[in-house]
Amino acid sequence: MVAVAPDLDLASRPSVSAEDVIVARGLEKTYTDVRAVRGVDFTIHRGECFAFLGPNGAGKSSTIRMLSCLSPLSGGELTVLGHNADIGERRIKERLGIVSQDDNVDPDLSLMENLLVYARYFSMPAEEARQHADELLTFMQLEGRSKAAVRELSGGMRRRLVIARALMHHPDILVLDEPTTGLDPQARLLVWGAVQQLKAQGVTIVLTTHYMDEAERLADRLVVMDHGRILQEDAPRPLIERTVGREAVEIWHRGGDDAPFIAAAGDALLLSDRHGDTLVLYAGEPGRIGQAFARQGIAPERMLVRPTNLEDVFLTLTGRDLRE
Amino acid sequence: MNRTLRLLRSAGAVWWRDFVAWRKFWRSSILLNFGEPLTNLLALGVGLGAYVAVMQGVSFLQFIAPGLLAVTAMNAVTFDAGFETYDKLNSSGVYAAMLTSPLTVPEIVLGEYLWEATRAILYGAVFFVVILAFGLVHSWWSLLLPVPLILFGVLFTAPALYVAAVARTHEQLFYYFSLVITPMFMFSGVFFPVAHLPWIVQDIIYILPLYHGVLLTRAMVLGQMTPSIVWQFVWLILYAAVLAYLPVRALARRLTT
Repeated sequence: MVAVAPDLDLASRPSVSAEDVIVARGLEKTYTDVRAVRGVDFTIHRGECFAFLGPNGAGKSSTIRMLSCLSPLSGGELTVLGHNADIGERRIKERLGIVSQDDNVDPDLSLMENLLVYARYFSMPAEEARQHADELLTFMQLEGRSKAAVRELSGGMRRRLVIARALMHHPDILVLDEPTTGLDPQARLLVWGAVQQLKAQGVTIVLTTHYMDEAERLADRLVVMDHGRILQEDAPRPLIERTVGREAVEIWHRGGDDAPFIAAAGDALLLSDRHGDTLVLYAGEPGRIGQAFARQGIAPERMLVRPTNLEDVFLTLTGRDLRE
Repeated sequence: MNRTLRLLRSAGAVWWRDFVAWRKFWRSSILLNFGEPLTNLLALGVGLGAYVAVMQGVSFLQFIAPGLLAVTAMNAVTFDAGFETYDKLNSSGVYAAMLTSPLTVPEIVLGEYLWEATRAILYGAVFFVVILAFGLVHSWWSLLLPVPLILFGVLFTAPALYVAAVARTHEQLFYYFSLVITPMFMFSGVFFPVAHLPWIVQDIIYILPLYHGVLLTRAMVLGQMTPSIVWQFVWLILYAAVLAYLPVRALARRLTT
């Protein structure tokens, strides 16, 4: 069964006039001995999906915690929905749906109770809360389990419940911190479908992820972060083409010399990269490296030609070294 | 929205969360909080009481019953606030989830006070019914028992929340229980009057909040309300007021880094 989130009507949200819903300038976060975020600027527009990419420790989560008002700023300025994050915490949180990395659903409560209790934190009228909770359980395909104990849920169901909970108060912005980490492919599809549907209804999505296919599929614009700074910012496709061209040629050859291949590729070559036994050659235009090889009679034994993707960008920008 | 109204609404939402969670386990919870004081009452009051004929003009059973009511409330509050808060912080993420909503740390703490005050009254009431059945209640002043129990809900919850916020392990919670709560239970005049102890020991006991709580509950249950009992009220209110803000900063440090 392919999981597709069913329709949900989230209309009648109050509109905010400003089109830039989140504006950060010189944002900094310092913990006692670590400078996690070192002055980042970004602007997130209403209705778009904006992704933060980066290796562990890049500063993504610190950034997202600051714009969720879960962590005070160490420096810089941050405006969310027209409110200064330093003083407008309550106003901002009233309009934000936050899905944190850890599935912090309430283990002592049933699914329905989780949603209704959370609605109370927002002073939502009980009747409205119950009706919306029903809709959201259906939206996240958890209907029929409303009375189940949270302890009985699988990891995927818990994540879906956290997302449903974050939508209880009709937020303008949905903040998703690694929403599909640890989910099976079916559950990932369901979450992606839900995100796309919410976006279509005008909800601004802020996302962090380690999955490049997820970012490529969902994000309208993204930033790649590392060591607390933003390295690149763009829409996925332009960013890919600008950084690693349009085509990647992977050549496996054990311990050999890369120089002949690189020389043969000539001016078709944009960039080369090696990891393990694999040499990756990036070309701005598809087919050019293949043509160059053919002209010079170079035929690697094992070669894969494929379109470039965000993973190439990510590894090119942040390197291949393990971070932890 | 009016600030006070908003504060109460938010605290009420936290109270409601605890109530909904408690509702599932209320039977075992009452049984657990009830077994120990009942055992003390029967084993000590009836058993030991056979050898201790009269204490301050009443039977030993009669003497210890009101104090055990205060102890029941103290324990119901302390253990719940300690363990539950530790778990809400360290494993379940209940507080982290609350902070993704407009709730603030002071509102959460106030909500916990309201809930623990509710528990103090509830568990105190159950114990009250027992001593009533034993014929150990002698005064309508007993109707005022909720007043000290509500104060217990603040003054014993505050340090328990603080300890839960700074404890790194479950074991560290037990330090508080076994080094603070249990000695207080033994020396706060529940089982014997403190008037004959050395003056320095009396001075130390006079600092313990439970001591004043025990004197109050005993005076109410036995109908021995004298004007000087006001001082016990003053002490409990003072303790509640001084301690109330203690856990706010410790919790905020844990939750908003």
